[in-house]
Formats: sequence, C-alpha cells, structure tokens
Amino acid sequence: MLLLSAVFLLSLSSLTFEILLTRFFSISQWNHLSFMAISIALFGFASAGTFLNIIASVKKYWETHLRLNIWINGCLILYAGSAVGSFLALNQIPLDFFRLPLEYLQVLYLFIIYLLLILPFFFTGLLVSLSYALLPQKSGFIYFAGMAGSACGAVIPAILISRFSEGQIIILTSVFPLVLVFWGRFFIDNYHRPTNLNALFRPATHVLISLAIMGIAAILLIPGNKSLISASPSPYKSLSQTLLYPDTLITQTSTDLRGRVDTVKSPYIRFAPGLSIKYEGDLPNQWATFRDGDNQFVLYNLPSDRNSYFVRSSLTYAGYLLRPFPEHVLIIQTNGGVAIPCAISSNASKITIVEQNPHIARIVRDHYALPVVNQNPRTFLSVSHQRFDIIHIDNWGYSLPGSAALNQEHLFTTDAFQSYLNHLTPHGLLVISRKLLLPPTDTIRLWATAFESLSAIGNKNPENHIAMLRNWDSFTLLVSPTPLQDAETIISFAQDFNFDIVYQKNISFKKANQYNLFDQPYHYNEIKRLASAYKSGQEKKYFNDYPFDVSPQSDHRPFPNRYLKWSRLKQIYQSMGSRFYTLFLSGEITVMVVFFEAFILSIMLLLVPVIFISKKREKGFLRILVYFLSAGAGFIFVELFFIKQYTLLFGDPVISFTLALTGILIFTGLGGFCSQWLTLKSLKYTLISLIVLQLLIFFGFNIWLTRLMEIPTIFQYVFAFIILLPIGVLMGMPFPLGMMYILKNPVQRAYAWTANGCASVLSSIISAQIAVSLGIPVIMLCAIFAYILALFTFSTRLR
Amino acid sequence: MKKILLFAVIFILFPRIGIADLKIDFPEFQSARKEMVFKQIRLRGISSQMVLEAMTAVPRHLFVPKNLANQAYEDYPLPVGEGQTISQPYIVALMTESLNLKGHENVLEIGTGSGYQAAVLSKIVNRVFTIEIRKKLYERATDRLRFLEFKNIETFYGDGYFGLPDKAPFDCIMITAAVDHIPPPLLKQLKVGGKLILPLGNPFGYQSLTLVTKSDNDYQVKQITGCLFVPMTGIALDRKRK
Repeated sequence: MLLLSAVFLLSLSSLTFEILLTRFFSISQWNHLSFMAISIALFGFASAGTFLNIIASVKKYWETHLRLNIWINGCLILYAGSAVGSFLALNQIPLDFFRLPLEYLQVLYLFIIYLLLILPFFFTGLLVSLSYALLPQKSGFIYFAGMAGSACGAVIPAILISRFSEGQIIILTSVFPLVLVFWGRFFIDNYHRPTNLNALFRPATHVLISLAIMGIAAILLIPGNKSLISASPSPYKSLSQTLLYPDTLITQTSTDLRGRVDTVKSPYIRFAPGLSIKYEGDLPNQWATFRDGDNQFVLYNLPSDRNSYFVRSSLTYAGYLLRPFPEHVLIIQTNGGVAIPCAISSNASKITIVEQNPHIARIVRDHYALPVVNQNPRTFLSVSHQRFDIIHIDNWGYSLPGSAALNQEHLFTTDAFQSYLNHLTPHGLLVISRKLLLPPTDTIRLWATAFESLSAIGNKNPENHIAMLRNWDSFTLLVSPTPLQDAETIISFAQDFNFDIVYQKNISFKKANQYNLFDQPYHYNEIKRLASAYKSGQEKKYFNDYPFDVSPQSDHRPFPNRYLKWSRLKQIYQSMGSRFYTLFLSGEITVMVVFFEAFILSIMLLLVPVIFISKKREKGFLRILVYFLSAGAGFIFVELFFIKQYTLLFGDPVISFTLALTGILIFTGLGGFCSQWLTLKSLKYTLISLIVLQLLIFFGFNIWLTRLMEIPTIFQYVFAFIILLPIGVLMGMPFPLGMMYILKNPVQRAYAWTANGCASVLSSIISAQIAVSLGIPVIMLCAIFAYILALFTFSTRLR
Repeated sequence: MKKILLFAVIFILFPRIGIADLKIDFPEFQSARKEMVFKQIRLRGISSQMVLEAMTAVPRHLFVPKNLANQAYEDYPLPVGEGQTISQPYIVALMTESLNLKGHENVLEIGTGSGYQAAVLSKIVNRVFTIEIRKKLYERATDRLRFLEFKNIETFYGDGYFGLPDKAPFDCIMITAAVDHIPPPLLKQLKVGGKLILPLGNPFGYQSLTLVTKSDNDYQVKQITGCLFVPMTGIALDRKRK
C-alpha cells in the first residue's frame, strides 16, 4: 500500500511539474521550448530503468538485498529536494535562448538546467521502475496507481492556476509526496530494523530531512519571495519590451489554464498597423493586454465615435468601404485590436465580438460596452444561424516569425473560410489583415484558401470574389460570396491613401506597385501566377515548385504560420546569409534539433544496458525491445492525436491537452487495473481490439467531431471525455500485461521501462513534425502501425 | 587563429575589463573591422566611400557587451541586454547608404540603442540627434558616446514618436525601433526632399528596409530588400525554378 501510494503521489507531482514547466518555458522563453520540458521529463523516467540495469550488472541479486522502505523514502525525499532545487536553479540561471549560438556559457547554462530538471523525473522513474521490477505480479495495480496519479497531476494545474502562480504550485506539489515519509514511518519497522550502517537512513533522519525541505518550501511560498519562483517573460517578448517604457505599469494580471493575461497601461502604446502614410492626425489613447508576455491586444479609448476615425485611413478599413453602414459585424479576435474601431467607425448597427479568452472577453466587454461572446469562434459559427455583413478576423500574427510554426490555429483553414462564407449575407465580406511577409508566403496561402473555399461552396469563378491590398508592412484580404462589383471603390481608396492593389480581377500591373515600391511587385506576380495555375489545373505543380509551403490547409493540418519545406532548407539557409542561428528562430527546426538530441540520448540509454547485460541476454530480447518501444510510441501517438483533434473543438490547445491527457490517463489506469485479472492470452485480443478501434477512429472521427461542435459546451466536454474510455482502457493493458507475463526478471522489466520511456519521448516530439507536414490524422496511422508492430512481435515469438 | 587566441586571452584573463581599458583600439580589432567592412559590406555592394570609412572608423566592439566583444565584427546582430540588439553590420551600412548622405545633413535617429548607428552617422553628417525612450539604454549610450568623444551627437531621453520639433526640420530620419506605422509627427519634421528610413522584420531573421522620400505634398515609399535577400527573393520568385 505504501509503495502504491508513493507511485501515485510521485506520478501526480511529477506530471504537475512537467505541465507547469511547459507553461514556464512558454512564458520565460518561447512556446516551442516546451518540447524541451517534455523530453526532460520522459528522459528522467527512462534513465531510471537504465540505472537499475547498471546496478544489476554491478551487484548480482541486487533485488534480494533491497530495502524497499528505504528506497521509497529515498525516492520521495530526493524527488522533493531535486524538484524544489532544480526549479529554483531554473529561475536563477540567466539562460538566454538568443545568445545560445553566440556564448558558450549559455550552452553550459542550458546543460545545467537540463541536467538538474531531469533529476526529479529520474527519482519518480526509479521508484516506478523498481516497483515493476520487484513486484511484476502487481503490475496492473502499479500501472493504475501511476496513471491515476498522473491524471490527478494533469488536473491540479487547471484547478490551482487561478489562485496560485506556476512557481507556487510547483513548490507545493513537489513537497506534497513527503507526507508519505511521515505516514510510512508507522510501517517502517515491519520491513527492516535499521542498523548502524544505515543510520543515515533511519526513519527519524528521513523525517528531519523532509521537514527541512518542507521548511525551505514554506519560505519560498512566502509572498515576499515570489520573485524567486515566478516566471519572468523573455526580454525579447512584447510585454518585456513595453515595460521598458517610462510610466508603464502592469495594472492587472490574471492567470488561468489558458495562460497569463497582463493588462498594461502606458502612454506609449500606439498600435495602428496598416495606417496610411497620408494620415496626419493623432491616435486615440491606448492600453493593452498581453498573453503569456506576447500576443498584444490593444484597447482604444474612444470617448466618441469620432476618435475611431483614424482607422478610416487604414488598410483594414477597405472592407467597410465596400460594405458601408453594415447591419451586423462579427469580429473574431485573437490579437491586434483594430477591428473594433473599424466596426465602430463604420456606424455598424450591431457588432458581435467573439473572444475565446475569458479574461480578455471580460476586459473588452467592460471597455467597449459591446456584446462579447466568450467562445471558440469555430464552435460559435457552427451553431449560429445568423448572417453578417462583415466578418472581420483580427489576427496580426506573432512578434517573432517562425516561432509559431507549430502553433495549431483553426482560423485560416479552408474549413474555417467556408464557415465564414456561409455566415455572410449575399453581399457580405470577409476581412482579414495580416503582416506582409517577404518572400510572399502568407498572402499566397490566404488567397489560395479563399479561392478553394469559394470553389468548394459552388462558386464557378472564385477569382472574381477576392481582392487584396497592401501597404509597406501589412495587407488586407477581402472575400465575398458574390463577385466583387465595386472595383472603382477599391482603386480610389488605394489612390487616396497610397495603398497598392495586390489582387483584384483585371487589375493592371501599374496599380500593384505604385506607392509602396518593391523592385518587382512580388506579391502581385505570385498571386497572378497562382490564379493562372488554378485556371489551368496546375495548382499542385505550383505549390510543389514554390520554395515555401504555401498550399491551403484544412482542419487536418491547421498550422498557418508554417512555411518551411525541408527539401529547400539548404536554399533557405543560404539565402539567410548562411547564418546558422537564424534557423533556430523556427519552432519546427528547434523541435527537430530536440528530436535528434533525444534520439541520440535514447540510443545511449538503450545501449548501455545491452552492453552490461549482454551475456545474460535471452532469445527474443530484440522482440521484447520492439514490443515495449511500439507500445510506448503507440500510446503517445494516440494521446497526441486526441490533444490535437480536440484543439479544433475547444479552440485552445491547453484545454484540449488537459482534457485529453486526464481522460486518457484515467482510462488507461482503469485498463491497467483490469489487466490485473487478465491472462497472457487476452493480450492478443486486446491488441487486435485496439487496432480495430483505432481504425474506426481514423475513419470516423471527423464526423463525430463535427457533431460535437454543434452541441452545448458542457456536453462537448462530457462527450469528448467519454469517447476516450474504450481506447483508454484498451491502451492501459499492453504495458502491464507485458510486464507481468512476457518479461522474466527484474533486469528485463527495468529495461522495458527504459524502452517505453524512450519511445514516448521520441514519438511525442516527432508527432509535432508529422502534424505540420502530413496532417493530424497521420498521427493515428502511426499509432495503428505501432500497435500492429506490437501485435506482430508478441504473436511471433514473445509468448 | 591568432586573433581568436588573443581575444580569448584578453577575455579570460581580464573578464572585468571595462570601456576605459578597451578604448585603446587594439590592432586586432582594427584589422577585424577592416575585414568586416571588406567582406561583409563592400563585397555585398555597399559602395559609398563615406559609409565604408565610417564603418571602418567606429570601434563596434565598444558598443557591445564585454563578453561579446570578440564577436563584434561577425556577420550577425548581437543582443545587448534587455531584449535589445545591435544590428548586423551590413544592415547598419545599408541603412546609412540608403539615405544617400552628402555630409551637410542633420539627421534624427529614433531609438539610440547602443549608440552604434548614431556613431556611424556622426562620421558622415553634420549633426546627429538621437532619442531613446528607455532610460537605462539612454544613459549607457550617452556615457559611451561622450566617453568616445563623438562631439556632433546629441542624445535625448524621451518619446521618439513626436521627434524633436525644436530641432526640426531634418534632412533625414532613421527609425531603428520596431514600428507598425510611420509616426505622422516625424513625417512633418522631414524636409521636402528628405528621407526617412526604417527596418522591417526581425533583427535575428531577415530584414528589409523601408525608405520614405518626401516630395512637396506626397511621399514615395520604397522597399529595399538588400543584396543579402536577393537570393531569397530570387529563389521565391525565379520563374525558372526547378
């Protein structure tokens, strides 16, 4: 019971630690570094198995000498101490991601952080692998305890994050498992009476050390010491940059599962993207909110409608000129803030704003006194029967291009565009403004997305429904369900405010490069070529030939900030002046670097035990390895498939992560528990059922997801959770059954634990790459393949 | 190799070395600077003799953090603390050349940063006025420029968005801070025929420049992609690509 409780608590604490580390990295560094947290955690677990194998090779029959109570207490104490210590170190070491290629010291910092953060996960992994190694007959229960603990660990941040900071929760949950040291003391003499030699480990000593760690934790939790454990945004993020202005203050900070929202008041915030160079007036006073230290959303002080008139001189306003005095404007906002003044300035009769973040929704509602729907925009549209004259997407992208390549967003997919077009009045207009990138990427993809969406809803000449304008740093895309007739309005608007026309049916070359001169009208030329390619049915060739990935994306591959083509990496690298560090700006490349690092580490972790236990290797050793590798990989592939699919449903990766992870952990734990009563024979049927179920999900999940989007939110949560039950239960069986029946000794079990951990690390990282390159459903195909491999290895030789 | 070794010895043995110590412009730094000007700037097409001489004269290593001084003449931007960067040498040269300076001009710079760009400009033009809104950066740059005796540079602490109406009009304005629109007050302070330049993109990634020329009642905006980016646009836009 003590052992199972320890497995439960350490699993709980370490998963909370892992989740909050990803949050910590996404605030203090960048989102894609959160992959580092995942690899740190899983390597910590995997290396524990290797460690046990090394012990086994050094000391024969080690398991018979083992004092379990000492190991339990040792793991608990070492976990708590290393978790608190490594987190403190993480916060104090001045790691600067941008200096990494320039300063060797930064590499050392990164290495120290990596090493220290692995420790708590190593001690968790040690206890769990030890449990499997010594008590194989209880594998089902151990698995259940681990998964149940992890499930609770996944939920804890969601519950506590609105009341405590990330750092406070990490400290609290790190020391929480120490309660077992006190509780276990009452049982200790039942195991072994301490001798002089291990006096250091006597229960009283354990209690004293635990008290010391708890004392340190208590000191860290005192409000005055908040700076020691709070996450500071990277100095390169917009929030840090804004805070360097004088008289600039954070007036409010709200944190929830979705992230941290800081409200900033400053006389120096002046956001007006796309503003004409001809504009000579003043801008209204502004203030802003920042999400996770970035993603600025600006609020304008508009005491009267006249204060919003500055937007009439901006590129974004083009859509409102084509549809003057709109009856109903829908604003879907993620960052930016200019859409609301546009709608106000146009004298719209009704304005509806959809904002997913509850804090920002409240702030916008209070500030503008406009109706704000706090909902996932895609879900809102899927249940809404309203028609809008203008749908305005306010999303200007990220402060660091490339860093968001892996960000899953469903606002710019062909499915999303079709949904927008279906909610417009016949002469309605979709308005999207973004930063202008060179070489042309975003402009081409959005134009192609509009073209294909119009085509999909039955328009025969989609090119007649689209217009695009630009200035020197931004562009606006206009799409209508009916052909755009008022060409003259767009031309005179462009002339009046010195904008250029990137695309409009029959527009002349001259209008495309008149005021904001490039050496060539690059964007115009490319879109013209693309339009011709569509006309001649050569669009696939166009997208294949173009050096960047600019093809339209569906909801299956929703990564609008991803343009990299790996086959053209060399050219891109050379064109950036062959500067190696520029590649690290891309989240995708960073993740691949982490993958290769993880791959090498995995090989090392798997090879070291082979070297040590080579003489003892039994027949079928390789198949055992393949079985546990494929079971581990299959598990993670399924988990990530659901996390990514649910992001469309909930509109937020953090919500989908928490729900899918919790559900899968609970149900796999349940599966593990049930496996305690199963025999080896049932493993084959379990794997077959699992593969069949995965195939059903692969082919039918889309229909299910579409239906889910149409029901009330609360039921979405319930059904999204329940659907995980069958697959979770089945996935919970292969690992404990393998531990119980396939493996013959503790050494093998420790090795299987390592294999499982390594597979989990590698598959979790590679899933991100699979999703951006091939699409999310392919992750499920990989899972099916992994479980087929497990079935094959099991069926042929393992029995 | 010798150069690297010397830098290594200097910075390992004297990690606390300060500006005063470095003011002696070591021959190794001078030769690194000459190499930088030749390889990174001249060979990429910057031909203005004034710009090349200014870039050769200004000791860039004194404008970067001490621990990065040995990389001051490399072909990339460097972080100078607090999330700020000093631009890649080529971008500094390109921005300066794009203004087509003759030597008599009064130039306003928005965003002093380390003071390096102002120092380069000061070697070419009559007067440089530079404004920095971040106090720490302003103080550091002011001390540095004063210490290095750049006498035709005036530094100001304040909001660059409104420029310096008292010192206007300017022949040229250079915005080195990130902006999403060109501040209307700055355009008003530009002489007719004057030029305003600002960089686009991220200092760590690719950058292009926007050059605004003021005529009587109108503006012309030109995008300068720079030779560094020609291969990229070439790849992207070459009709004969594979």
